[in-house]
Parts: sequence; C-alpha cells; structure tokens
Amino acid sequence: MPMPKLTPSEGETYDASQKPPPFGHAMKQYFALDEDYVNLNNGSYGTPPLPVLSAAMRLGYEIERIPDKFHRLTYRPILVKSRESVAKLIGADPDEVVLVPNATHALNTVLRNFEWREGDLLIGASTTYGAVANTIRYLADRSEQPRPDALFIEFNFPLTHAEILDRFRTRLREIKQERANTPFSDVPPLSPGHRTGDKGNKIVAIIDSIVSNPGALFPWQEMVCVCREEGVWSVIDAAHSIGQEVDINLSESKPDFWLSNCHKWLYAKRGCAVLYVPKRNQYIIKSSIPTSHEYVSPGSEEAKVKGTNFVMQHEWTGTADMAPYLSVLDALSFRNWLGGEKAINDYCHKLALDGGKRLAEVMKTRVMDETGELTVNMSDVLLPLPVEKTPGEVYSREQLVKINLFLREKLLNEWNAYAAHYFHAGAWWCRCSAQVFNEVSDFEYLGKAFNAICQEIRDTIL
Amino acid sequence: MPIPDLVPSQWETFDSTQTPPPFGHALKRYMPLDEDYVNLNPGSWGTLPLPVLFAATRLAYEIERIPDKLHWVKFQPLLNKARSSIARLVGAATDEVVFVPNATHALNTVLRNFEWREGDLLIGATTMYDTVANTILYLADRAEQQRPGAHFIEYNFPLSHAEIIAIFRSKLRQFKRQHSDRHFTDVPPLSRGYVEDPAKKQNKIVVVIDSISATPGVLMPWRDMVRICREEGVWSVVDAAHSIGQEPDINLGDIGPDFWITDCHKWLYAKRGCAVLYVPYRNHHVIKSSLPTGHEYVSPQRGEVKRDRTTFAKLHTWTGTADHTSFVTIPDALAFREWLGGEKVINDYCHKLALEGGRRLAIILGTRLMDETGELTLNMVIAVPHLCRTSQLMIIVLQTNVELPLPIEHAPGEIYSAERVDAINVYLREALLHKWKAYAAHYFHAGAWWCRCSVQVFNEMSDFEYLGEAINVVCREIREKILLERVSPNFPEPYPALAYL
Repeated sequence: MPMPKLTPSEGETYDASQKPPPFGHAMKQYFALDEDYVNLNNGSYGTPPLPVLSAAMRLGYEIERIPDKFHRLTYRPILVKSRESVAKLIGADPDEVVLVPNATHALNTVLRNFEWREGDLLIGASTTYGAVANTIRYLADRSEQPRPDALFIEFNFPLTHAEILDRFRTRLREIKQERANTPFSDVPPLSPGHRTGDKGNKIVAIIDSIVSNPGALFPWQEMVCVCREEGVWSVIDAAHSIGQEVDINLSESKPDFWLSNCHKWLYAKRGCAVLYVPKRNQYIIKSSIPTSHEYVSPGSEEAKVKGTNFVMQHEWTGTADMAPYLSVLDALSFRNWLGGEKAINDYCHKLALDGGKRLAEVMKTRVMDETGELTVNMSDVLLPLPVEKTPGEVYSREQLVKINLFLREKLLNEWNAYAAHYFHAGAWWCRCSAQVFNEVSDFEYLGKAFNAICQEIRDTIL
Repeated sequence: MPIPDLVPSQWETFDSTQTPPPFGHALKRYMPLDEDYVNLNPGSWGTLPLPVLFAATRLAYEIERIPDKLHWVKFQPLLNKARSSIARLVGAATDEVVFVPNATHALNTVLRNFEWREGDLLIGATTMYDTVANTILYLADRAEQQRPGAHFIEYNFPLSHAEIIAIFRSKLRQFKRQHSDRHFTDVPPLSRGYVEDPAKKQNKIVVVIDSISATPGVLMPWRDMVRICREEGVWSVVDAAHSIGQEPDINLGDIGPDFWITDCHKWLYAKRGCAVLYVPYRNHHVIKSSLPTGHEYVSPQRGEVKRDRTTFAKLHTWTGTADHTSFVTIPDALAFREWLGGEKVINDYCHKLALEGGRRLAIILGTRLMDETGELTLNMVIAVPHLCRTSQLMIIVLQTNVELPLPIEHAPGEIYSAERVDAINVYLREALLHKWKAYAAHYFHAGAWWCRCSVQVFNEMSDFEYLGEAINVVCREIREKILLERVSPNFPEPYPALAYL
C-alpha cells in the first residue's frame, strides 16, 4: 500500500531561510500544546516541537515500507550521525556516547554493570530522583552478599553552592572514616593510587547536575573534582542538563559517567537519552541493558580486539521504535533555526528568574533560589501553604498525599495549567520550567491558580 | 498550535461491519509495505496494519496536547485495558501480565532478577536467539562469585519432537549427575520438595526454553519441556518471542511455565516495541525490580510499603519516560485481527501457506524443507493426543525453513570459514533487499544454508515463487563470486530428498 500522504500541516514545517517568530507565545504555533493550556512543566516530560514530531511520524511510516531494509541497512548510519551530534554538544568523543531510552535506563546500565563487593558503598542524596534512589536501594537490598551498602547524603534547600560542596566533601570523608578498616582501593583511573584489576572496595557516588525537586543546579563539576581527589567514582545524573545547561564540556570536567535525557530540554522525541562513558571506564560497562548481539565475553579472542565493545553493544538492544534516537537530528536543526543553544537558554534562563520572581509576588511568598546560583531554566517558588518546622507538625502522611493529588487535579482539570509541585523540608513548593513558548504572563496565571487552590486546601484538607 | 487534524486515509481505518478483503495480496492495502516489496520476513520485525499505525500516531499527537494529563490521568486505564486483553488471550490474570519493550528485555528482567549463587546452573540451547545466549554468558561471566554456571544443550535440526524431548530430559539429568555434590533444593513452587523458607534453599537450575526457535524457525515441544522442568525441579523460562499471534490456544494457567515471554510486535500486529512478560502470582517474589528500577520499587528494608499481588504490575507501569503508544494500542491490533476473522482464521491461512509455499520453494530451489517430518509432526500430534495437554491441540507454525542451493559441508570449516559465512550473509541480504526487493531471513546451520520464510495474511504462493527465482540467481552469484566455483548448467542440482515432496 502506498504510504498515506503525510503532508505536514501548519507548524509542522518551517523555512530555515526565514527568521523564526520571537520567543514567547508566538512560538506556540510550533508546538503541539493546546492553545489555552499553560505549560510550565517542560521539565518532566519535555515538549517536542511539531516539526520534530512530524518528522518522527513520517519516519515511522517510512520504516514500515521495508522494515528489513531500515533495520539492517538504513538505520545505523543515521544513528551514528545522531550520536556524533550529541557528542559535539557535550564535548565528548562520539565513541564515548551511546543512546538509550531514558536517563533511568542509563543509570541502571552503569550501576548494574559495576561488580559489587561486600563493603562497597553506593552513595546517593536525599534529593536523588525517586527511581534512581530505588535503583540504589534495590542493589543494596540483595538478600545475600555481595552487595553494596547504600547511603544518602542529605541536602535541604535552600543551600548555596559553597554549602553543597562543603557538605558533600565532609560527608564523604566522614563516611570513609566511619569505615576506616575497609580499604577503598578500587579508585577510578584518574584518582591517585589507581591500579587496574584492584580487588579492594569502591565508593560510587550518584550526583545530580540539576536536581528534579527542587529544580536546582548543583556545583557538579566541583563535586566531580572532589570525587576524583577522594578516590570516589562519579556518576552524574544530568537528566535535565542537555539543552538546558550550556557549555557542557565532559572532556574537561571528566566525570566517570554522565547521562542526560534528550527528550527533556533538547526537543527530541520521547524515549531518547545519552549515556557518556569515557574510554578509560568502558571496561566497566560489560553489557548493555538488555544484553545484545554484540556482547563480548571477557577473556575471549574478540575481547582482545574489541574490549567491552561499548558502542556496538548499544547500537541495537532489542526491537524498539528507533525514531526517538533519530529525532535528535531534527531537534538540533530546529534549535539552530531558533538561534542555537545560547539564544534559547538566554531567553529561558532570564524568564525563569523573572517569572519566578513575579510568581512569588502574586502568591506573596518567595523564590527558593536566594543567590541565583541554583537556577538554570527552572524556578522553585514557595506555595502559600503552612510551613512546618518538624516532620508531622502540620502535615500527616495522608494529608501530603491528598494535597499532591488535589493540586494536580485542580491545576489540570480546572485551571488548564501545570507546574510540578512537591513537599520539601517542611514546605510546599512549585517548580516552573521556562521554555521558548512561555512568557511572564504564564507565571502570573499560575500564581492566580495556586492562590485559589491553596485557599481551598487550607479550607478543606487542613 | 492545535495538533494536526489527523484524518485517517482510506486504508488506515476499517468498517468492522463490512467483510474484510480475502487473505492474500488483496490485504496489502491495509499494510504499510511497499507495493512491490515481497515480504516473507514478518518474523523478524513484524508488520503492523495501517489502522494500528494510525491509532498510535494519533495517540502520540494527542499526548502532546497536555503531556502531564496523559501521563498522570489517562495512561494507567489505557495500559490496564491493554494488559487485560492480552491476559485473556493467553489464559492469565491481568496482574500476571506486564509490558516491556521487547522479548530480550523481558528475558533480561527475569534472569537478572534471580539472585544467583555459586553452584547455580543457567541452561540455554545452541538454537536460542543469540542475545538470550549472550545474557546467559554475561551472567556467568561475572568476574567473581556469585554467578551461575552456564550450559547450552545442543540441538541439530532436523529433529522430531520426541527426539528433542529425549535430549532435553537426559541433559537435565546429566547436569544434575555431573554436579551431584550440590543440593538443587531451590525448586519452583509447583515442584516436589518446594519449601518457602529461603534458609532451606541451596542451589537452583534455571532453563531458558524456546517455544519457537528463531533460526531455524521451528516449533519446540515447549509445553512438554515445561512439564519436564516441573518434574525435575527446574525453573522454566519460556522465550516465546514468536508465539503470540502465531501459536493458537495458549493457556498459561494450564501449561504452568514459571516465566513466559513474547513479542506482540512480531505476529500480533502491535506497534514495534511491545512485548509481554508473564509471571504467575506464585513467582512474583522472584521479580523484585523492573528493569530499569522504577518509582514503584518496594524495598524490604524500608518496611512502609509491603508487596502484594498488584506489586508486579505496579513495578512495570512506568519504568522511565518512553514512547508507550505501542503498549496502549494493543486493543487496536486485536480489533483488526478480530475483523479479519480472529486468531484461528488467520493462523489457518498462514499455516497452510507456510507448508505449501515452503514445499513449492524447495522444488524451485531444488532443495528440501528442514521440516521433512512436517507431516509426521502434525500427524503425531493428532494421532497421539495423550502426549498433548488438550486433544484438539494443533501445533501450527507460520514459518518454514528451506535449504538454499549452496554446498553443504560435512565438517566445520570444510567449505565455510567464519569470514565466508559473514560474506555470504551480507551478499544475500544486499542482493535480496536492493536488487530483488524481497526478503526472507537466511542463516547457516549445521553445515548448510537455509532461509526462513514467515507467512502473513498478505502473502500468497506467488511470493514464494518470486523469492525462489531470486534465491536461485543470488546463490549462483555466490557460488561464482565467493565460493569461486564454476556453476553447472543444471544448477540447481536436484536433491534426492525431493521424493518427500
């Protein structure tokens, strides 16, 4: 059957030689969002532009014309291009970059590849993303040895970068001192004392570049340095970074592992993330998840030539829809048309700051980020609800759950608007993401909504 | 910007009150395949009908209108509906069925959830799909304990079902004898000697069994093998990647595998990236985490939330942001199959064509079917119903394996080095796809070259004839260019096995 005629409709195509519309509501024509929906939550699921969606849909049909041709012949060169363009954006060698479905998947690939020994430590934070914290717990929960111990460093916002760094370094040293009898000699390649094949214990730390709740920037590059000094493996959960943080140069910052979602801020179709593993550490990633055709058994003849075959293992990890990986190219073209990474992020960053301030004014509360250090394109603002100084003082467990549900339902069903909302250190906050289609008026509208909803909460639940 | 007004084109929708077109080329209009492409390989990637592709496309746009709404509000009910419809199809409870992107992923979920101990055995087969074999190797390759020992039972086709069963049972017993110093007391719940107390369990044996192996594409007596596993106290993980939509009358509640996995995007008309992992309630405790671990993981250490019968399904509701339209459009795939007449009607057509088309192809190529005993197998089932779980069990396969007109070697390396095998595979692939616009899977097995043709409702006999023509020419080119033979004017030489046909 000849393919249906997929003529792009308005907004699904753009003339690269023409100037784009200005940032703000004029940009909404290129996004699939409902006209009257106020989306201040790009940070959760991302918002792919219509041209990217449309290209992915067309590709979906194209693949079906001769599936064997696409999967056996056509797919690979385009995937390579995708990887190369992502690598360029983050200052990495293309052979250090592979694509996986999402950041949680990438994180699991790293943590599950480490061969854990009794005495190993796996360190997260109280602000670690839920699924990541669960992965850490799952590994520590193994009923028998060998398994790592799990620890979570606590960060209660607001905090400055200096405070975060200090706390991190102090806790790492405390943790090591508490276990003075354990030789943490299995240190990463760039740390002093590294020996390949060391059979001692290791410490692996998961560090957010930009936390989810709150949407705060961590001084992750400095924390990577601390890790290196302390002989700790650094796994950077940078889920929010690509397309939001500018000037990422992994060859300079040298984390041991780094991962990010391309579908959050980079405009790729949902289901595409990048896993960066520098060549010095690829020996650790023995298998993709799931294991693929290109797995190489250690000690085999093949292993002498290919090592762990990191890139090839991740080219194909089972049948799936490949369109998200390939949509990166369309996403980057569109972003270039808008003016490129700097132009986009200058606008979004400024809007996050201005919008956050305005929102705080409307709600008569305050912005979490007092120093400006913590804000990239997301702003966290206190909601007009009581703050408790000790856990349970104001809010029971059930009330917390109820309030979250209430907020969500009211925002989506009654006000046709959304921003993430969460409870942190005794207070209720919202996290607003600023995108190229947002304006300050969106924050004002959201403030109005929160004022009304929080009043209802105070009247009914509290 | 409002999402594009997606109006289905003529063949992206169907009137379920009208009779569908007859099976054969008339159905191609409902498929997104190129008009002149002869696809005898839906077994690899599947082919979804245009109405399903359209439904998924429309849903993908719909999600983007208010992404948070779909994810928080609409998604769960749609997913549950899809899971229920699959559960009904395979004789399982809804909460015993979850979706994952593909069979390899499901297989990895199971094997990586087992807590392996020194002395455990993890057993595969030489005919298993190689990513599954690699998963087994990866687990056994762990540099230090704890890790299982890996073994692969050898099957060289052609073999009858009775032969396969005999090999399987004797190998299992052999492994136990070889490791008689170990105590394989960690048996599955339905086996004799099962105890709940973990302290009383020592080692276990886990076997991965194909229901329908990939290459060659043959039906294994997996239901019998599951029974044997139960008798021998061995955990059965059934890689049924090819089963759903091809094998009729699957009742997992009756058959009782410990774990069962299948791809919906191969034969069930689902969008690519949808597979089913079935875990009966009695084995939920083995699956501690989804892969990757998600928000719903229940940590025994934290104690606030306890696992219950819904936990397994909850673990797998959301395992990271992805495109879930493939899961959620399962009902659209099933509706289309219903319209065509349902599972039995579809499979009757495809099975008949697989048998007849395979025979025809073998004649054109001057070679033979792998399943020379195809008649025998079917008859064996019918004639000796007491060997089967139900007397009306008709094991139906929609794939046929036909030998290619290339020399057979009687000792490994006699004719074909590893490089030659690669070169021939590449040549076949490119010639078939680029020059002839046709495809069937091809592979080297036990010294000979084979093609595996899978049949769908849009295929006809002429597809086999065209493929035969193509293969004859391509194999002649291979003999001249890669094997450097002078090809006789009588090519292909007729085989004595033609007598069977």
